Amino acid sequence: MAEEFLVVKDLHKSFHDFKAVNGVSFTIGKGEIFGLLGPNGAGKTTTIRMLSTVLTADSGEITIGGHTVRKEAEAVRSIIGVCPQDLAIYEDLSALDNMVFFGRMAGLNGRDAREQAMANLKLMGLQDRAGGKVSKFSGGMKRRINLAIALMGNPRLLFLDEPTVGIDPQSRNHIYENILGLQKNGMTILYTTHYMEEADRLCQRVAIMDGGQIISMDTPRSLKSQIGSPEQVTLEDVFLKMTGRSLRD
Amino acid sequence: MKRALYITLNEVRLYLQDKGDLAFSLLLPIVTFALMYGAFGGQTMFEATAVVVNEDGGSYAALFVEQLDEIEGIDIELQTAAEADARLERSDLLLALYIPPGFSDTLASGGKAEFIFKQRGNGGQEGQILSSIIRSVAEEMNQEFQVREQVKSGLEGAGIPEDRIDFTVQKFLGEERAQPAVGVAEEVVGGSSDFISQYLPGIITMYVLFALTIGARTIVEERKRGTLERLLTTRLSTGELFFGKFLASVSRGFVQTVILLGLSYAVFRLFTPVSFLESLAFAVVYIAAASALGMIIASVARSEEAASWIGVVFTMFMVMLGGTFFEISEGTVLDIVSKVSINTYANDALRTIISEGGSLGDTTLPLIVMGGVIVVGLTVSRVFFKVVSGGK
Repeated sequence: MAEEFLVVKDLHKSFHDFKAVNGVSFTIGKGEIFGLLGPNGAGKTTTIRMLSTVLTADSGEITIGGHTVRKEAEAVRSIIGVCPQDLAIYEDLSALDNMVFFGRMAGLNGRDAREQAMANLKLMGLQDRAGGKVSKFSGGMKRRINLAIALMGNPRLLFLDEPTVGIDPQSRNHIYENILGLQKNGMTILYTTHYMEEADRLCQRVAIMDGGQIISMDTPRSLKSQIGSPEQVTLEDVFLKMTGRSLRD
Repeated sequence: MKRALYITLNEVRLYLQDKGDLAFSLLLPIVTFALMYGAFGGQTMFEATAVVVNEDGGSYAALFVEQLDEIEGIDIELQTAAEADARLERSDLLLALYIPPGFSDTLASGGKAEFIFKQRGNGGQEGQILSSIIRSVAEEMNQEFQVREQVKSGLEGAGIPEDRIDFTVQKFLGEERAQPAVGVAEEVVGGSSDFISQYLPGIITMYVLFALTIGARTIVEERKRGTLERLLTTRLSTGELFFGKFLASVSRGFVQTVILLGLSYAVFRLFTPVSFLESLAFAVVYIAAASALGMIIASVARSEEAASWIGVVFTMFMVMLGGTFFEISEGTVLDIVSKVSINTYANDALRTIISEGGSLGDTTLPLIVMGGVIVVGLTVSRVFFKVVSGGK
């Protein structure tokens, strides 16, 4: 594996009596796309919130790009980008205004924010809609803006929390291509999804989480080998075998 | 600090984009002012126009009209008999005073002359008051005639020219009118006769507290939009976020207060330019204090409804305890409890400036209290937010 960029050691987080994250440990190499899979309520989003400094862990250690989250939170925030599961955009503003605003929050000056905003909009195929009000965009376009905002400020680690939920195949495919393109340029990505084929296509390694713990972690191929022939078994089969078929919520 | 200003600018931009919210918040102070004007903009003294038909044109008629015109609140409108008759006929006029031809000559020759009131029905309420005033002026003129005649008859045979007697009598009567032996003093019981200057400070302070509810909703709206967490993953600190939102709330409250105070200045003429600016300056500090309290609510409220309700209840509490609409007697339990309301200090300060002719320098204690509330509010809101959200 490449040089470790993100290191998580024995992470714990409880909400009252409920253990949301119970001793999670993993590492992500620089330039790797790492998948975090799990049923609803497994603790994926809580884990991402702790890694992105929104939530304080009860115990454990998180190091990102050599900075510990507990003591160097601001340094961590300067090198991460987060694309949350729910859309986090100002729908009453234009695409460009959204991008420039978050660019400024990422520490860019006005001119750089504008330049980077146009570049990221072009990457997402939205350069012609830069001045358009986001409320008028389709669901797929809003998802792409949501992702484009996460790229403002040149982050080195990207958290993508189910970035393709509820969008059409064309938009989804466009996003896959963007993600692979980012990885080629050296971006490290932590990717969560419920779409197993997505994880299979994009991720070098995946961790399967359930009940606040990582129950399995390896490359998609190795995971598939655990239950059968990698050419015949899908990652979904692996997932269902490891987490069970009962409904979670 | 720059990021805090970008938060403020973004908030202002969002506010300007929401046409409904923008229209409502700009119209609200205008509507409030209109209600104030309707309630308090009435006249505090009787004012009326007396329609006079001067068919005489002589000196005594002119003197009478002049004396009537000198009465505060009475305007004279001279019309011809035909015009006044026509207006009375169509009820456009309820009462008119006619000075008949020969009025002055009759008085000059020592005879008795009379005015004529022409009226529709009883002349209406205004007409009745006007006719009382005119009769009192006529009575005064009558008394002056009597004095003049008695002085003339007393000096008969003394060889003093009549015009000199007239001049001297007129002079002494003028002096008496200027400094009468019996005067009238006014004493207002239970408040000021000038309602607007008494109630305007309370209306302003109540209005400003709307800034509290606006501030209370800002963080919750950000959370609802999903953008709060995104912001918390950037280099923006919690302090910058809250300060930026605080400034946005102050800006919005400031615009509304300028509209309200500006209209009051233009219409009620309660202020001098200096007192207007001082009132505005104090209002800004008060808006900042209200916004800081709004930030505390914002830091703990989990929904827009909760933020609004807490804001409204808090506002009502502050308004009721702050002496906005009724005076609180000193030394009572309510007086002690009222000290926890920022409205108490704001009302005192604005009354000092607006009603009592004081200056900003006379409002040191309220300014200190407001400053303290701002600092404590912004500090506490950050701490509460960290505790409630469990994170940054």
